[in-house]
Amino acid sequence: MSDIALSLRKATKLYAGVPAIDGVDFDLRRGEIHALVGENGAGKSTLTKVMAGVVALTSGTMTVDGTEVAPKTPLEARNLGIAMVFQENSLVPTMTVAQNLFLGQEKFYNRLRGIYIAAQQFLQSLNFDVTPTATVSGLGAAKKQMVEIARAVLHRAKVIIFDEPTASLTPEEKKYFFDLVRDLKKRGVSIVFISHALEEALLLADRITVLRDGKHVVTDDVAKFDRAAIVQAMVGRDLSNTLYGARKSSVRPAGARVLTVQNLKMAPMVKNNSLSVFSGQITGVFGLVGAGRTETFKIVAGVLKRDFFHGGEILLHDQPVRYRVPAPAVKAGIAYVTEDRKVEGFFETSSIARNIYLGLLSKFPKGRMMLSRRETDAVGKSWIERLKVRAISDDGKVVELSGGNQQKVVIAKSLVQEPDLIIFDEPTRGVDVGAIVEIHELINRLADEGKAVVVISSYLPEIMALSDRILVSRQGKVVEEFSALEATEEKIMYAAIH
Amino acid sequence: MIAAVRDFANRFLGRGDATITVPSFDGALKPNQKLEAAETLLTCESPADLATDDSKLFIADGRKLLSLNGSTASELRSFEQPISALCTLPGGGLAVALGGREVRVYANPAAEQPSTTFADAAFNAINALALADDNSLIATDGSATCGVDDWARDLLELNRSGRVYRLDHGNKSVTRLAQGLGYAFGACAHGNGMLVSESWRHRLALVSPGASPKIVLAHLPVYPSRLSKASSGGYWLTAFTARTQLVEFVLREPGYRRRMMAEIAPEHWVAPRLRSGRSFKEPMQGAHIKTMGVIKPWAPPRSYGLVIRLDADGQPLYSLHSRVDGINHGVVAAVEMGGDLVLIAKGPGRVLKLPLAGLAEEFRT
Repeated sequence: MSDIALSLRKATKLYAGVPAIDGVDFDLRRGEIHALVGENGAGKSTLTKVMAGVVALTSGTMTVDGTEVAPKTPLEARNLGIAMVFQENSLVPTMTVAQNLFLGQEKFYNRLRGIYIAAQQFLQSLNFDVTPTATVSGLGAAKKQMVEIARAVLHRAKVIIFDEPTASLTPEEKKYFFDLVRDLKKRGVSIVFISHALEEALLLADRITVLRDGKHVVTDDVAKFDRAAIVQAMVGRDLSNTLYGARKSSVRPAGARVLTVQNLKMAPMVKNNSLSVFSGQITGVFGLVGAGRTETFKIVAGVLKRDFFHGGEILLHDQPVRYRVPAPAVKAGIAYVTEDRKVEGFFETSSIARNIYLGLLSKFPKGRMMLSRRETDAVGKSWIERLKVRAISDDGKVVELSGGNQQKVVIAKSLVQEPDLIIFDEPTRGVDVGAIVEIHELINRLADEGKAVVVISSYLPEIMALSDRILVSRQGKVVEEFSALEATEEKIMYAAIH
Repeated sequence: MIAAVRDFANRFLGRGDATITVPSFDGALKPNQKLEAAETLLTCESPADLATDDSKLFIADGRKLLSLNGSTASELRSFEQPISALCTLPGGGLAVALGGREVRVYANPAAEQPSTTFADAAFNAINALALADDNSLIATDGSATCGVDDWARDLLELNRSGRVYRLDHGNKSVTRLAQGLGYAFGACAHGNGMLVSESWRHRLALVSPGASPKIVLAHLPVYPSRLSKASSGGYWLTAFTARTQLVEFVLREPGYRRRMMAEIAPEHWVAPRLRSGRSFKEPMQGAHIKTMGVIKPWAPPRSYGLVIRLDADGQPLYSLHSRVDGINHGVVAAVEMGGDLVLIAKGPGRVLKLPLAGLAEEFRT
């Protein structure tokens, strides 16, 4: 029997022609703990989703125990002995632990007592301290994780994949989780786990694979790595330079302080966060997923609310402000360009002009009852020309546009409000290369005009290319500030992780 | 009644006046360790202020007036009271504030008798002297009730009794320019007005004759102190320590403050200090936090060292720091002299020198 439990050869997955993983070779040995690390967008989740049958490969092969397979659904993967524990767990919260364990394996007639006894015996055999009759919604994160793991073992999984398993665990729960994983390893189960916490990878894994920009960079025994080597492997990229240009040789000087955030709190995402934003500058905010960047600026823009008790303070032009809804924030000159344009950015079946004019509604004069079609079209047309939105007609629907042009519409909807402070959240996510350049030019132009600009991005080259000063966020607060001239990808990534 | 309900709600919810927050050190105030790299020119017992006539450096060290030539300090003279402020005058004159209650003007530092003495009954804590554009003297008086050395009490009593005076040595008159300031500590001529530091309000205000003070720079994360002119335009602003959430919290707890001031020695109050870490009796030095099941010693910072370079409009350009793990804390005075910045770090009792060549360029990149 081969030593390799699962392997992928030249695995490629394209999303709308864009490779999420590109020609990746990956081997998982029997009974090993294998850590997958990489930046956001490096392709870690896609690779594991391929293994778990959540998505199918565009090209390449996958073998399990030496047999070529192509699981098209998670059920098919589970029948092959592969189970995945997702970051946001897939348990049914209103069901009991036992019902969740046996979900999908129900017989025609189920005796509840029998299920509970079987679940109790099984959980005890794993030494898991979980009550089978407890409702899942009442369990803590660690206990939910245990149920997920128990379910994977119950399904006789030979390979268990964990996506950010420790993200929601307390330190003590993490320690318990590590013991669990080591115990699974002793039982001969192969483990793949994704983690942004490099010390976890170094502590737990037997081997580490680093992915970057969807490509395999290196796989080696854990002894061959240290933190610096992993970070270097994660960020050293050539591809990005061609797209985002050379390093900045000068930065814009800071103007007046426009925004001050002091000890802002929104449990559990924003923890005592403090920062300032200045006019005439681009302030880049970098952090890994879950670092609380988006939430902080959503609170500033009135999209989310800070903690009710001792939630901190926000000052706009040195005056305390507190917005419960976005409209007064817009009136005060704050524009937030969302990271999720399809859900929060536009009405996809409305015309481009109407979507752009929407931005003005919060400033709609009191007493005026009717929208002027002529005015809507004029405003829309003017911004379509200014931002070079490529549409068949001004009357075209937003849904018909490409991702880049949709993003331009979302930006136009914000800029039409003539804000002083513009917050771009992942401004080029899912945007084609040509539009990225145009959006970056626009962001630079806004800063040159003296606006205070914030760019939140998980993509280091974008942060490096745009920002005059870079704030690094970790675990709900800004932990480091760099001038764009002193920042390196290694320094930023180090601050974001440690 | 509504105000009382609102006040209660604010205290309960931690909002409004009861928001215990502190601005962050970012942008131009991004921390560095520049002050720790400064050369120590002299160690004194209790340095209070600096002044220069571009050729000589005068240092107020307790009751003694020292002159520093190179690295050699010589005592010029001594006074019957500690010197609380110094200022050189055109033509070689020198103005000294003694004990915060009296300002004497000497024709030269060695002159036996003062040419003018200002001893207005209202003077209580004169802590800085500066020259106005018409060559009259400007004096800042921190508090109407607490003495120069009792500034921590003034903060904890939430006093707002700072004043700014114009001292005209031509007609020997004293004119009050402003009052009700949150510990006025430092002034510098700015156009036809004066930039004045308000330590307890963490801001710089422009005081002009016949006009109410105008805020130039607010929401500083520190307690600002003296100001001096920079040779290339703009100003140097010193800050004697940084604000902390612990002190901000104590400032909102009147009962606690009253008991603390009544029962505990002033050096152990929960209040900003010019130096810290010298005694285990200091508040919170014996504190701990539990992380991952392990008890770790922890203490909040009490002292800090900072000088801020301001532009001609009073906005920060860059800053020089001595962080919590440093020594050169409690910076109360900074003057430019011969291409160097000379500072007083009152915490360790040091006079420091920092070369200015290339400093601005370093921060620009």
